[in-house]
Amino acid sequence: MKVTLHIWRQKNAKAKGRFETYHLDDVIEDMSFLEMLDVLNERLILEGKEPVAFEHDCREGICGACSLTINGIPHGHEPATTTCQLHMRKFKDGDEIWIEPFRARAFPIIKDLVVDRSAFDRIIQAGGFISVNAGQAPEANSIIVPKDDAETAMDAAQCIGCGACVAACPNASAMLFVAAKVAHFAYLPQGQPERKRRVLAMVEQMQKEGFGNCTNFYECEAACPKQISVSFIALMNRDYLKATCSGEKHLLQTQQV
Amino acid sequence: MGIFSYLRSTILSKVVMAVTGAILVLYLIIHTAGNLLIYFGRDTLNSYSAFLHSLGPILWIFRVVLIVSVVLHIITSIKLKFENWNAKPTGYALKHYLKARFSSRTMIWTGIMIFAFVLYHLLHFTFRVTNPQHYSAEFFQMHNAVSTVILERFDVYKMVVLGFKNPLISLVYIVGVIIVGFHLDHAIQSMFQTLGFNEKHYFPTLQNLSTILSIIIVICLISIPISIMSGLVGGEI
Repeated sequence: MKVTLHIWRQKNAKAKGRFETYHLDDVIEDMSFLEMLDVLNERLILEGKEPVAFEHDCREGICGACSLTINGIPHGHEPATTTCQLHMRKFKDGDEIWIEPFRARAFPIIKDLVVDRSAFDRIIQAGGFISVNAGQAPEANSIIVPKDDAETAMDAAQCIGCGACVAACPNASAMLFVAAKVAHFAYLPQGQPERKRRVLAMVEQMQKEGFGNCTNFYECEAACPKQISVSFIALMNRDYLKATCSGEKHLLQTQQV
Repeated sequence: MGIFSYLRSTILSKVVMAVTGAILVLYLIIHTAGNLLIYFGRDTLNSYSAFLHSLGPILWIFRVVLIVSVVLHIITSIKLKFENWNAKPTGYALKHYLKARFSSRTMIWTGIMIFAFVLYHLLHFTFRVTNPQHYSAEFFQMHNAVSTVILERFDVYKMVVLGFKNPLISLVYIVGVIIVGFHLDHAIQSMFQTLGFNEKHYFPTLQNLSTILSIIIVICLISIPISIMSGLVGGEI
């Protein structure tokens, strides 16, 4: 199949970017989207041109490294799918495809389609620790977790931190990511001792990183490759309010190693 | 910073938007119900208005709460909007929305239009600046056991009927109310989400109810100028 690609090219963080158009004639529909870009890059290298920089790692949809906003949707139009798991058979012969980096002030562009998502790492760090004993695995039934709570916690823990929520949000808000990280501990007994200070610290770090405010568009939920629900944002709002009203301090400094 | 220190927190700002919004929605529901009294005739509407004015200081408590809500709602929304524009300096060449609705994407613009509409609405009906000729007193008889007295009260009914007989005023009002409806369509369900009421088993219903309530309010309000223009109400004036 043939496709026309409009790809955002930007030499470095400071340079001015622009779209460049490429025509590919030999795309096999069983290729993944990233394999299609590999083919393009092989050709660019043979032509002595600079290949397109893009991020990838596991290529099986679980690591959160791949990004790309494809035709205006982070990870492309296929629901609940990362870019690496999106296949060219989901496109039609002759399609024009616009490929842009994830756009947000908190995700500065490093090169071409690669953005710096380390703001997420700093939010995770701000969340700090949970109080469990290290060493031997504990007896499985010593802490009872209701089945529904365990399932909900796992739904939140599905988040791979890819940043599609931020990319999809017209305000570049990171609320869905932070909510998922807050919620997967909030539903478990092990997460309770630090529950209040965790939510305060993570929200504060989120704001420091320059993410926008949530305006309940729910674009994040729709774009999330792991289908994290915005109901976790409601949970985070609840937890944050309770923690603020109880006068809890989050001890951000002492938690950072 | 004092009272405005909540603005430092993104979630507290959203909570202030939700709570002040909720107060304004509750007011709008009461206002709509009060307006519908026009269908019960001149005496009902005018005596309801006289009752509201007789509340005196209590009425002012309501007014102060409303004014504070409006001011906080506007200040907070402007602060949030500027931060949001700042957080996304570059948009996409091609953007495909998946879930964001027209009503949710236009909140700041419908909000600004509603502010202008409400100012005009207050100048028209509350301060009676724009059409002072529509305002007059009504004399009515009050009976008690021993005597009959003649009292004077606002003729709200006449003011509304004369106002809405003007097609331009009616058109502005109808458009204004429809814009309010769009704002509410996103606002009501959004308020529950912000305040933390979102569980998967009831939230879709809540979203539908939010839209239905917005439509009911819009229909109730625009029915009044339509009834007046078509002569169903206030034909005698």
